[in-house]
Amino acid sequence: MKPAAFEYLKPTTLENVLSLLAQHGSSAKLIAGGQSLVPMMNFRLATPEILIDINGLSSLDFVRREGDSLRIGARATHAVLADSTLVRQLCPLMSEAYKYVAHATVRNRGTLCGNLAHADPASEMPAVMLAVNATLVIRNATAERLIPAKEFFQGLYATAITPVEMLVEVRIPATPRLTGYAFEEVSSRQGDFAMGLVAAIVEVRGDLINSAAVSFAGFSDRAYRLEAVDDLLKGKKPSDSLFLDAAEAAIALIDISQDAHADREYRCDLIRTLTRRTLAKAVTRATSNA
Amino acid sequence: MGSTSVDITVTVNGKVYRKHIPARTLLSDFLRQELYLTGTHVGCEHGVCGACTVLLDGKSARSCLTFAAQVDGIEIETIEGLGTAKNMHPLQKAFWEKHGMQCGFCTPGILMTAKEFLAKNPSPTEEEVREAISGNLCRCTGYQAIIDAVLEAAQKMRNLQEVQV
Amino acid sequence: MSERYVPDVTVPASVQKEPPRSSLRWIGKSMKRVEDLTILTGKGIYVDDIALPNMAHAAVLRSPYAHARIKSIDTTRAKALPGVIAVVTGAEFAETVGPTLALSCPPIEQRVIAIGKVRHVGEAIAAVVAESRYIAEDAFDLIDVEFQELPVVADPEQAASARGDAVLHPSLGDTNVISDRTYAFGPVDEDFSRADVIVKRRLRWHRSSAQPIETAGAVADYNVGSERFTIYCNTSMYNQISRSTCAGSLGVAVTQVNMIPSLVGGSFGSKWSTHKVFLLAAGLARISGRPVKFMEDRLDQMSNGDNHGADRVYEAELALKRDGTMLSLRFTVTEDWGAYMQYGITTHGNSLAQVVGPYRINSVGARIISAVTNKNQQGALRGMGSEVSNFVIERMTDVAARELDLDPVEIRRRNLIRADEFPYVIPTGNVYDSGNYQAVLQMALDMFDYEGWRAKQKAARAEGRHIGIGLVSCQERSVFSPTEMWSLNDPTQPGFHMTSLPETVRLRIDPSGKVFLQLNAPFWGNSPATVATQVLAESLTVEPSDILVTFADSDNGSQTSAGPAGSRYTTMVSGAIVNAVAIVREKLFLFAAHALGCAVEELELRDAKVGVKGNPDIEISFAQISTAAHYFRLDFPPGPEYMSGLEAVGVYDHPLSAKPADDRSHLGIYYPIMGHMVHAVAIEVDPNTGKVSFLDYVAVHDSGTVVNPLTMDGQIYGGTAHGIGTALLERFHYDENGQLLTASFADYHMPMAQDMPREIRIGHVETPSPYTEYGMKGGGESGRMAAPPAIVQAIEDALQPFGVEFFEVPLTPNRVRKVLRDAQNNPD
Repeated sequence: MKPAAFEYLKPTTLENVLSLLAQHGSSAKLIAGGQSLVPMMNFRLATPEILIDINGLSSLDFVRREGDSLRIGARATHAVLADSTLVRQLCPLMSEAYKYVAHATVRNRGTLCGNLAHADPASEMPAVMLAVNATLVIRNATAERLIPAKEFFQGLYATAITPVEMLVEVRIPATPRLTGYAFEEVSSRQGDFAMGLVAAIVEVRGDLINSAAVSFAGFSDRAYRLEAVDDLLKGKKPSDSLFLDAAEAAIALIDISQDAHADREYRCDLIRTLTRRTLAKAVTRATSNA
Repeated sequence: MGSTSVDITVTVNGKVYRKHIPARTLLSDFLRQELYLTGTHVGCEHGVCGACTVLLDGKSARSCLTFAAQVDGIEIETIEGLGTAKNMHPLQKAFWEKHGMQCGFCTPGILMTAKEFLAKNPSPTEEEVREAISGNLCRCTGYQAIIDAVLEAAQKMRNLQEVQV
Repeated sequence: MSERYVPDVTVPASVQKEPPRSSLRWIGKSMKRVEDLTILTGKGIYVDDIALPNMAHAAVLRSPYAHARIKSIDTTRAKALPGVIAVVTGAEFAETVGPTLALSCPPIEQRVIAIGKVRHVGEAIAAVVAESRYIAEDAFDLIDVEFQELPVVADPEQAASARGDAVLHPSLGDTNVISDRTYAFGPVDEDFSRADVIVKRRLRWHRSSAQPIETAGAVADYNVGSERFTIYCNTSMYNQISRSTCAGSLGVAVTQVNMIPSLVGGSFGSKWSTHKVFLLAAGLARISGRPVKFMEDRLDQMSNGDNHGADRVYEAELALKRDGTMLSLRFTVTEDWGAYMQYGITTHGNSLAQVVGPYRINSVGARIISAVTNKNQQGALRGMGSEVSNFVIERMTDVAARELDLDPVEIRRRNLIRADEFPYVIPTGNVYDSGNYQAVLQMALDMFDYEGWRAKQKAARAEGRHIGIGLVSCQERSVFSPTEMWSLNDPTQPGFHMTSLPETVRLRIDPSGKVFLQLNAPFWGNSPATVATQVLAESLTVEPSDILVTFADSDNGSQTSAGPAGSRYTTMVSGAIVNAVAIVREKLFLFAAHALGCAVEELELRDAKVGVKGNPDIEISFAQISTAAHYFRLDFPPGPEYMSGLEAVGVYDHPLSAKPADDRSHLGIYYPIMGHMVHAVAIEVDPNTGKVSFLDYVAVHDSGTVVNPLTMDGQIYGGTAHGIGTALLERFHYDENGQLLTASFADYHMPMAQDMPREIRIGHVETPSPYTEYGMKGGGESGRMAAPPAIVQAIEDALQPFGVEFFEVPLTPNRVRKVLRDAQNNPD
C-alpha cells in the first residue's frame, strides 16, 4: 500500500503556500500532520500530484486568547490542544471531546485545522465547532474569508474550502460562564471513528433552557447542527421527554447512514440515547454553574 | 517548483545520514530499506496498528504515515537506539522479565511509545499505562504483561533517578 | 445409570518414558525466554528484513469483483513503465507454476493467480515485479482488464439453489454445495426418543481471521546454475506441507527447493502453509531472473490471506432428561468455506474431537453441509473449528438450563465427566486422556466468587443496572493426528489418508560441552526455543545457558516435523527431545563406563556429567566424553557402538492415536491430549447502546504439566483477548454483492488495551497426561475457545429482564440493540 508519486514542496511562508495553491490548487494537497491524508494516499484513494507541506509555517503554530475568543492556528496539534489549560478554560467542550479523538501518537502529529479541512463524517471536532459557533478563517493568495462553522461542513469530506484556499485559523468564542456542556460518543473501541456522537451546550436561566446548541456527527455524511432542534429546546423546562423530542426531531432531519458496524436503526437508537444523556449532563452542569 | 525526489539529512539514534530519495518514500521504508534499520516493523500502513512507531524529536509518530521528506533535520529514535544485550534499557529488561512480548512484531512500536510516555509521566498508574498503549495493537499478549512490564520499568527508572540524584 | 454408548475403540497403551513428578528442576519454571533479547534490541530477522542483492519487489493486482470472468487482460502498458521488470497474468504464471494446495475431497483446484475467472474480491489476477514495491503498484493502473460479471453467491444457505453461472466450480457439479454428509455416532434417534426435553436453536458464527501483526511474505531466489530455489518465508509447517507442495507446484524435485525459516510475527494458524505467497515469489523469481520479495500488505492479507476462520450456521438440538442429564446432541451445520477448500473439511473433524464438551453425552448426530461462496477461503484459525462447537454446546446447555429452571453451573456440574472415568472415549471415537473437571470448576467458582457476583447482580438489578454472569466449561484439545484431515471424507475415496504427524529434533554435544539442539519448525511467538531449552536442560541435566537452539532449513532439517499447529508443538517437541536424549544418553553411558571402568547400570546423568550413582567422586563431564568421542577414537574399543560423535536425531510419533473405523462409525483417536478450562466473567451491558464492559474475568486452565508458567499465562491472556475479539468485535463482513466491507484495520476491529478486562485472574490445575512426556498437554489455543460462549452467556444473563437470547457472534452493540428492539416490537 504505497502512495503514488508526487512533487514535494515545503514552503517557509504562508504567502508561498497560497501562491502555490493559486497556481496548482486543483492538483495539490496540503499536508500538516498527515494522519488522515497519508492513509488515503497509501490506499491510493488520494493521489495528489503535488504535496505542499505546511510544517515549515511556524507562524501558524499558535493557541492563544484574543479578547473574548480562542484562536488556533493551522499548525496546532491535537496533542497540544488536548493538554492546553487555555482550551480547557475557554472551550471546555473541546477538552472533553479530546478524550475520544484517536490515540496519543496520532494526536502528536494530527492538527485541528487538518482534521476540520478533511471533514470526516465521524470525526469529533467538526461537531464541537458547530456547537460552539466557531469561525473558520480561510485564505487564498489575495483574500481572507471568515466562514461560520454551520456553513463550513458541506458534505462527505466536503467543506467550504476551494482548491486554491487554505484553512489557516479557527476562532472560537469563549464559552459563556453560565452554560453547561457535554459530549458523548459511542464507537466500537475507544479511539475508533464514532458510530455516533452528540455535543451539547446549554444555557439555563431559572428553571428554563434559555438557549441550546446541539450538534451530531457519525450519523450521516457530515456533522450537523439543526436549528429546529435548538429551537425546540429554547425556552422549555428541561426533561427527559423534552430531550427525546429533540432527538426525534434530529432523526427526522438527518439522512442517517448505515455501514458494517451500525445499521440505521442503531444510529437512531444512539441519537436518542446520546441526545438525552448530553442534554441532561449539560443542564446539570449549567445549573451548578449558575 | 517541487521535485519527485528530495535530499534529506536526518539523525537516527545519534548518527547523521544524508540521503537522496523519492519524495513519496514513507519513513518506515526509509528506515528499513535505506538505513537497514529493520527493527521498526510495518503492520498495516494505515496508522492503526502502531508497530511502526518511532520518536521524532522525542515525540512518538507513526512512521508509515510520515514521508521521509518531512523529517529533514529531525532527530529520530528507533528501537535500535534503545539498548543492547550488554546494555539494556530498563524497558527492554522489564519486557524480558515480565514476558511483555511473544512474537515481538508489535514490540518495537510499543517500546518507543512507552519510552515517550515514561519521559512525560515517570510515575504512572496502571490505568495511565493502559491508556498510553491503547493505540498499539498486539495480537499475542492480551496487553496485561505489557502493562506490567511498563510499570516495572517505570519503577526501575525512578530508582535509577534516585540513585543518580 | 444406564450403560453409555462407547464406540469400538481400543485405547493404545501409554509410551510415556518420563512421568510427571514434582522433583523437576527446569520444567515448571517461569524462566525468562531465550528468544527475547535479539528481538527486544531490534535485531530479530523477520522475512521482510531480508534483502538479497539485486532483489526485486512484487505486488499483486486483485479483483474488484466477487465473481467474474476475465475476458481479457492486457499488460502491455504496465510492462513499459520504467522500473517494471515483469508483469505476469494467471495464464502466463501457469506455464511454469501448477495449481496449489488442495486437500479437499474432491480436490478443488486453485491457482496462485486466477486464470479465466475470479471467485472473490481480492483474488489475484496479475503480478508485477519491479525495482520497488512503489513502482510495482504504479503498474496496476496500466493493466487493462475486461471483466464479465457473474452472479454473486454470498449466502451459504442459498448455495444449494445456485445454478449455471452462479456455480463457482462447475467441473464439480451444477451446485455450490460441495458435499452434504451425515454421520451418526451412537444411538442418536433412540436417545432423542427417550428424552424428556429437547431444546433446539439456530446459532450463527461469523468468520473472523487471525490477522497477526506480521503478514505473510517470502523472498525467493532461483539459481540458474544449481537450478535450485532458495525461499525465505514465514510459513509454519515448511517441512510437513510447504516444501513438498512448493516443489510440486513449481514442477521441480524436492531437492530443488530449500525453505529457510525466519522469525515469524505471529500466526494463530494463518501461516500454517502460506503457499500462494511463497509460490508467487518463487515463480516470479524464476520468470524474472531476479530474486523477488513478495510481502503481503495488510490489504493483501485481508482480502486474499486464505486464512479465514469458521463461518457456520448451526441448527442444533440437545436432548436431556428432566433432571438435566444430557443424552444426545444432534445438529446440521452449513459451512461457508469461501471460494476454495484448501484444507478440506478438517475443521469439522476438529470439532468432532470434543463436540460433547466435558459432558457425558451419549451420542452425536451430525450433518455437515459444505458450501462454497464468493469469499476468501478459510484456513486455520486458533481453535480450528472446535471453538465453534464449544460455543454450540455451551449455548445449548444454557438454553437447557433455562428450560429446566436449573442454575447454569449446576447443570454443568451434573453432566461433567468424572475424574475416575479417564481415559474417556467420546461417541465420535476420540479419547480424553485425563482431566479433573470438578477441580477446575471449583477453583473457578472460588476465585470468581460466583455466589458473591450473583448477590451483586441482584443488588444491581434493583438499581436498574444490567450486570450479567457467564460461566462456561470447555475443552481444549491438543496434539492432533492427521486423520482429522480425511476421516470425514467419503470412505471409498478419502484422499491422501495419512496417519503420521511426528516431530523431530537433532541433538549434538560439542567437545566444549555446549549442546546444540536443532528444531525443524520456526519461532512464531510461542516460545519454542525456550520450551525446548527447558525440556532439554531437564532431561540431559545441562544448564540452559549451555544450550543453543537452532532452526533448520528444509535442506538440513528433518521431514518428520509437523511444526506448530493444534497446540501440539510443546508436547511433540518435548517427546522428540526425550527420544534424542535417550539415544545420546546411551552413548554417554557407554563411553563413560569405558572411561571410568564401571558398568553402564551404575551410571546416572547429573549436572552435565555422567557419574556412578551414590558416588560423587566417580564422574566424567559431557565435555570430556565428547572430546574423547570426537578426537580419541583409538582409546575406545572397535565396534559401531563406539563410533565417533555424540549426536542423535530424536523422532516422536503421536503418542496416542488410532485409525477411524472403516465404516466411519467412529473417527478413531486423533486429538486425545485434552486440556480443559472454565472461564467466568462478569460484565455490565448498557441496554441503550448495546455496549459491554468487563467487571471481572477469571480463567482456570488445565493444560497438564506446564513447562513454563509465565509463557503459559501469556498464551491464556492472549488467547482470551483473541476470544474477546471474536465474541464482541471481529467479523469479515461481505455484503450481498460479495464486497468486503471490513478490508482494513479501520473496519476490522481487534481488541486493544482498553477493550480488555482490567485484570484477567488466572488459575491453574495440572492434571498430567498419562501418555505424553512429563505429562504435558498443549495450551496455545486456550482462551479463544472459551471466551465467546462465556461472554455471550453473560450478556444474555445481563439482559434477562428483557427475555432475549443470543446465538450469534460477534455480538456487537448493533446486534445487541437489534435483538432488544425486535423483542420490544414483538413481545411474544
